[in-house]
Amino acid sequence: MKLSFNINKSLAMRLVLYVLSFCVFLFIVSLAFFYFFSKQSIEKMTVNNAEAITQNTVLQTEQVLIATEKILTNYKWLFESKQLNCDSLQAITKLIVKSNPEIMGSAIAFEPNFFPDKGRYFCPYTYRDKDSIVSMYLGNANYEYFVMDWYQVPATINKAYWTEPYFDEGGSNALITSYSIPFHKTINGEKKFVGVITIDLSLSWLTDIVSKVSVLESGYAAVISRNGTFVTHPNNELIMNHTIFSYAAELNSVELREIGRKMQKGETDFASVNLKNTNWIISYTPLTLSNWSLAVLFPKAEMYAPLRSITTTLILLVVIGLILLTIVVYRIVTEQVAPLRLFANSAHEVANGNFNNELPEITTEDEMKDLHDSFVHMQGDLKNYIENLKNTTSAKEKIESELRIAREIQMGMIPKIFPPFPNVTEIDLYAMLEPAKEVGGDLYDFFLIDDEHLCFAIGDVSGKGVPASLFMAVTRTLLRSVAPNELSPSVIVNSLNKSLAFGNESSMFVTFFLGIIELKTGRIKYTNAGHNPPVHVHAGGEVKFLPITKDIPIGLFEEFSYQEKEMKLKPHDKMLLYTDGITEAENKNEELYSDQRLINCISIYLRKPPKELIQHIAMDVAEHVQDNQQSDDLTMLSIIFNGGKKEKNNA
Amino acid sequence: MNRKKTVTILFIFISLLSFGQLPKITFTPHWLPQSQFAGYYMALEKGFYEQEGIDVDIVHPSASLMATDRLLKEESDIISLFLITALATKSEELDMVNISQLSQNSALLFVSKKGSGIKSIEDLNNKRIGIWESGFDEVPKALVNSNNYKVDWIPILSSVNMFMIDGVDAMTVMWYNEYDQIINSGFNPDELNTFLFSDYGYNIPEDGLYCLNKTLIQRKDDLRKFVAGTFRGWEYAKENKEETLAVVLRLMTEEHIPTNLAHQSWMLDQVLKLIEPGIKSVEKGELAESDFHKTQNILYEGKYIDKKYQFSEFYKPVK
Repeated sequence: MKLSFNINKSLAMRLVLYVLSFCVFLFIVSLAFFYFFSKQSIEKMTVNNAEAITQNTVLQTEQVLIATEKILTNYKWLFESKQLNCDSLQAITKLIVKSNPEIMGSAIAFEPNFFPDKGRYFCPYTYRDKDSIVSMYLGNANYEYFVMDWYQVPATINKAYWTEPYFDEGGSNALITSYSIPFHKTINGEKKFVGVITIDLSLSWLTDIVSKVSVLESGYAAVISRNGTFVTHPNNELIMNHTIFSYAAELNSVELREIGRKMQKGETDFASVNLKNTNWIISYTPLTLSNWSLAVLFPKAEMYAPLRSITTTLILLVVIGLILLTIVVYRIVTEQVAPLRLFANSAHEVANGNFNNELPEITTEDEMKDLHDSFVHMQGDLKNYIENLKNTTSAKEKIESELRIAREIQMGMIPKIFPPFPNVTEIDLYAMLEPAKEVGGDLYDFFLIDDEHLCFAIGDVSGKGVPASLFMAVTRTLLRSVAPNELSPSVIVNSLNKSLAFGNESSMFVTFFLGIIELKTGRIKYTNAGHNPPVHVHAGGEVKFLPITKDIPIGLFEEFSYQEKEMKLKPHDKMLLYTDGITEAENKNEELYSDQRLINCISIYLRKPPKELIQHIAMDVAEHVQDNQQSDDLTMLSIIFNGGKKEKNNA
Repeated sequence: MNRKKTVTILFIFISLLSFGQLPKITFTPHWLPQSQFAGYYMALEKGFYEQEGIDVDIVHPSASLMATDRLLKEESDIISLFLITALATKSEELDMVNISQLSQNSALLFVSKKGSGIKSIEDLNNKRIGIWESGFDEVPKALVNSNNYKVDWIPILSSVNMFMIDGVDAMTVMWYNEYDQIINSGFNPDELNTFLFSDYGYNIPEDGLYCLNKTLIQRKDDLRKFVAGTFRGWEYAKENKEETLAVVLRLMTEEHIPTNLAHQSWMLDQVLKLIEPGIKSVEKGELAESDFHKTQNILYEGKYIDKKYQFSEFYKPVK
């Protein structure tokens, strides 16, 4: 339940996250592009606008300046071409002032002693004093007009000159600039500078023009003079007090100083500058006639304000859009993956063994349908598989239980009570059989033929498992039926061979050793049908394999004739019979236990009674094999001859 | 602060009770209000003169009435003057004495544009050099004459416009004033060549305090109080530049003199440096006898004066 819920939740959330991330990324990129290009286009528009504003303002100011310059140009021509009557000059200054309301004063100043009878100074001057027009002559020891800028500069550079602005403190108290042009006379054939004509122009018209320039909310225009002095500026405190350079120094703005220098050089350009924590775009262009410069300042924050507001709205809309998108995507995904959750539940049910649990209904023809079909298929297959498994398991269990019974039967066939013949003191005997599988193909047996003879045998049926065990059972049963009436091992073996070989379609065979010991003497007659040679353990300590008859295993050829041999156990001699399960026991490195190791092991424990000897050998084999799986039955039988009764009695 | 003020007022009040009105001193600096005279303004503003026990009135000169005129007419008791001006104008009629030498160093220099080709002082030969029409021409001329340069001296009123429009090749300026005006008119220091007079053996002290000899005899104690108050004012200005500049700007605005903080700040810094004697073997406020002789010799050799004074006739400190 929890599992299905997590899949559902995380899948939906993950999808929403992916979609949202991508949308946000797209949005940011788009917005950045939009903002960047809009900003550029606004800047371009601003630049165009600035150009228009500055050009327009310059045009308006130049009109006034040109008109003013023209007045003087006309008089200059008059003075240079005509004979000068010094007494008529005052009338000219008066006329200039009177006929030009924007002109605050006018003077015609001459070089020292130009008119000898007028003395050092001659400068008729007319000025506006409030509503009246006053005429006078300038120049005395305290007013050496020759060193005044309006006279000295044009006289020195021999060119028309607009002075730096100044306050006309005496008269109008207005900001004034003087325009002066030098004029010359040809005296004695030599063109000589004789003086300047000057007019004082109130700058209120300029202030009017410039202050009308309005850019957005707080943008403005300003004019600086040739030296950088503020002639107009919305902040009155700057006018005449500051140059753009001293202002830059006060604001600690290197950029502003550089802009000022460019303005001073008459350049037209744009620049960005930060003044008192406000960013501005400054557009500047010269007022060429006076060498002054006009700057129009655009507040960047206001320039971009509409863009900012659009961008803010856009962001808001997109954020709402993204929220809606999130909800919708989440809903859709949740709806689409809902069957998955049900499938997960179903899978869980199936896992719990409920194969008949109902699957969610899918009406679409998509991957969900495929999944559904796969689930149906899986459910059916699983059901069949489990059914089969059940049957197989019960069959296996049945076989296993039968095998268990077979083993019990098989084990019941071989004598397992030790010591087997407590009354027979001549010998002691011990045997073990440990099948590799439930039932094995090895066998051993021993029984008294009569009071004086004990028959003992060991065999190994080819193959393993049930067939081998059946063959073994047959062999053992035949042995018991053949042996009681016979004292010759070869006769018994021949008889066994005949019975087994007859109709032996499965071609199974048994390696077989059979011995009959005469209890009185310890003499043994034996026949070995292809079995491993038993070990003769001499009481004196010698351990060696018994010489064996070289006969083939029984059950192969009906007509084969088996031989027999004879040997004698001395008192306390032992004989050990074993199957190849012992000597060929393999460890993980595929190393065999080997005959030699068997001999060695026996040599160590040679004085032990049969039971202990066999247990020691079994332990040694186990040690050799370690964890490796037992591949063959392990069977051993050992007899010790304690000595004949009669001999004992005799002795 | 309040306590200090109260004490001051109390002191003044007691003084008034004891002696009636405080003795009055009218002081006239030799130019219009600017940071050059910040120490006097601060002494007055902060009540240092009153604390010393005098009632000081600062009256600036005008175009028609210079500081020396005011002294002669006894409209002012103390005036400030350049050492060279004082030595040039001292006469039997204007029998003035130096009671304290404030500036120890010369702020005069020639400045030229790098593009003018004037790279060393020798290059001034045969050049047009601007100089104030109103005076202070003695030292520049002495410097030029001692090197036998021929110079076309162009009289200039007070602006730097002739320099700006290349009307002159070089110009005589004060380090604390016109030099900074040129900088504030758009020239960068690295575009200018400067020739400081002090580097050419003409480190002539400038601002000093002067009064008539008879005032010295009659009111020596009041003069001493004035000098003491003045130095306290300069000390205060040095420690409180922002406040000082605010006072200077206020006074200049009241007098309708165009200015700005940047320029006055520069001026204050430079004037404060001039007060320090540096390597000269005098204390603050003292006139070195060697400076006196050197200055008088410049005037004598330049034929500005035909009579030499004894050091003791001219310099009568009121410590």
